[in-house]
Amino acid sequence: MELIVLAIKDIFRRKGKSLYLLIAIVIPVAILSTILLTFDNADSSLSTLASKFGFTLIVQPKNIRVDKISQIGVNTQEYIPEGVIADVERIVRETIRNPKDKVITVVRFYQEDDLLIGKAKVSSVVAGIDFKTELEAKPSWKLTSGRWPENDQEAVLGGSYASSRKVSLQDTVTLGGSEFKVAGILQNYNSSEDYMVFAPFAVIQKLYNKSGFVSVINIQNVSLDKDKKMLQTAVAEINKNIPNIMALSPQQFSTMKYALLKKSLKFLMAIVVATIAVSIFSIFNIVTSVLYSRIKEIGLLKSVGASRSQLLTIFLSEYLSIGLMGGLIGYPLGLIMTYLLDSLLLKLGAGIKINILYVLVALLVGVFCSLIASFYPTYRLSKIKITDSFRSQWEG
Amino acid sequence: MDTSKGTPFLELKDVNKTFNLASGEVTALEHVSLSINKGELVALVGPSGSGKTTLLNIIGSLDRPTRGEVLLEGIRIDGLSEEDLVHFRREKFSFIFQDAKPLRMLNVLENTLLPFNFFKPKNRNGNIKDEGIEIIKSLGLGHRIYHMPSQLSGGEIQRVAIARALITHPAMILADEPTANLDRANRLFVIDTFRKLSKEKGIAIVISTHDLEIANRADRIIHLKDGVFLKDEVVACTPCAA
Ligand SMILES: Nc1ncnc2c1ncn2[C@@H]1O[C@H](COP(=O)(O)OP(=O)(O)OP(=O)(O)O)[C@@H](O)[C@H]1O
Ligand SMILES: [Mg+2]
Repeated sequence: MELIVLAIKDIFRRKGKSLYLLIAIVIPVAILSTILLTFDNADSSLSTLASKFGFTLIVQPKNIRVDKISQIGVNTQEYIPEGVIADVERIVRETIRNPKDKVITVVRFYQEDDLLIGKAKVSSVVAGIDFKTELEAKPSWKLTSGRWPENDQEAVLGGSYASSRKVSLQDTVTLGGSEFKVAGILQNYNSSEDYMVFAPFAVIQKLYNKSGFVSVINIQNVSLDKDKKMLQTAVAEINKNIPNIMALSPQQFSTMKYALLKKSLKFLMAIVVATIAVSIFSIFNIVTSVLYSRIKEIGLLKSVGASRSQLLTIFLSEYLSIGLMGGLIGYPLGLIMTYLLDSLLLKLGAGIKINILYVLVALLVGVFCSLIASFYPTYRLSKIKITDSFRSQWEG
Repeated sequence: MDTSKGTPFLELKDVNKTFNLASGEVTALEHVSLSINKGELVALVGPSGSGKTTLLNIIGSLDRPTRGEVLLEGIRIDGLSEEDLVHFRREKFSFIFQDAKPLRMLNVLENTLLPFNFFKPKNRNGNIKDEGIEIIKSLGLGHRIYHMPSQLSGGEIQRVAIARALITHPAMILADEPTANLDRANRLFVIDTFRKLSKEKGIAIVISTHDLEIANRADRIIHLKDGVFLKDEVVACTPCAA
């Protein structure tokens, strides 16, 4: 029989204590995996979002405070004067220097409001949009049911209302005291738009007493899409020449959107470090008490000829295997937690993906916790004299 | 026993052992000299605290004397390093402790073969597992070979310890109160087994005991009191001859 076999047999003999050790390792590994996987999702949804946007350049009010951004991540508090639209278009055209190159300008007005959809009261974001230009810029935008609005008192609902609110076509939605007919319901795009209600731009602007103001100006242009340098020039020129606004590329915009998540990275890592510390402390305690209860066994093994390094091999391989098991269990648990967190809270559209690098990180953290915590007690007890081990009062 | 021919297997010369405690020094052995030959069965007797365990530990080089010499086949071993002693332990000595239970996760056979998890058996020409089974059977545990320790009685557990002590072909077996928790039949079985082994295999066996009936079945009885030799008597085991 090999020493390792002795070690494995011992894990199963001490199921209770081994289980404690396992839990002490699984928890930090699962938390760390959850954070890593969530950031990974944020990153990938950030890049898909950037491409899904279909816009080349975004202009929004300057100094949007993070805490003022509405629940679903759009700005509903700060506005830009309409006069800026022409200035932005002019600068874009001057930058691309090609009169035939088409520039599409999509303007939106956002307002947060308590709406009445059918009979249900819902807090949501109302988006005033021009359906024609919006569809010109995003031909992929599709309805699951109904049609696009044909007059000023019709609205379209975001994809999330299709199933969750039991809203049907022909229902009315009351925005700012005015009734609109639900003309159509959009597809789900896994974005903030799923939670919006869309109605004609001018009507909404007037309804909320914000005539002459917009929330965001989106520019779509092929040349700027292709030439990142030219895009940077346009962004810089707009920011230089127009006060109180901020121009960004979609990539920058998405990054801003996840700024909050990124800002919390340090805090989350502190949590991970704290759980690892707690884990190491508990493992240390469990291992110490287990080893003391094994003290006569250690004496017996030494008396039949076990050397210190052989004892260390037995004990450390025991804790090494538990560490590995902890990593192997902690990672899938992290996957599940990531998935739950995402479907309940973050809505980044996370799927279950196996990331080999993170599996390795999980295993390493498991082994690290286990070995760091067990090394000292193991090392110390392997030094005990046979005679002392049998005089000890500890019972196995 | 005949001690005249050549060097004794193991010799203690004027051994002293003191323990330093917070409350002061405790003298456990004083001026102890003795020699033990191969094939001899020696019993250490004496009241509790008289130094039996301490003496056994020094004989088996589990502990070092404070003063004096320990010689194994004429060579001093009391100054050897722990690493060197590991080899002596593997090749020369087997220990049986009063309260060292067999490992709970191993069955009787695996417990018997335990030493060979740590080193390879030397000079064997049979299968080591078969030999283990032979030894277990010879101790009357033939029906327990694959049983776990939790399924055994106290007497059977002590036999497992003897089997484990025998598998390494030791020159000497040291047993601290090997019969302490056994009923009379099992006590007699253990001591008679030791007696047989010392005679048939030439193993030197030293046991400690409180039990004079057991001690009287040895070849020699060493009486200790307060760490000093009272007497070293050769006994003729009358019940054994019968
Ligand atoms: N490691 C030690 N530290 C301190 N004192 C010790 C140690 N080992 C033994 N002693 C002391 O040495 C003396 C002899 O102890 P020892 O255990 O050898 O006696 P014993 O004859 O085996 O007793 P018992 O029959 O109770 O087992 C006792 O006074 C004991 O307290
Ligand atoms: Mg004793």
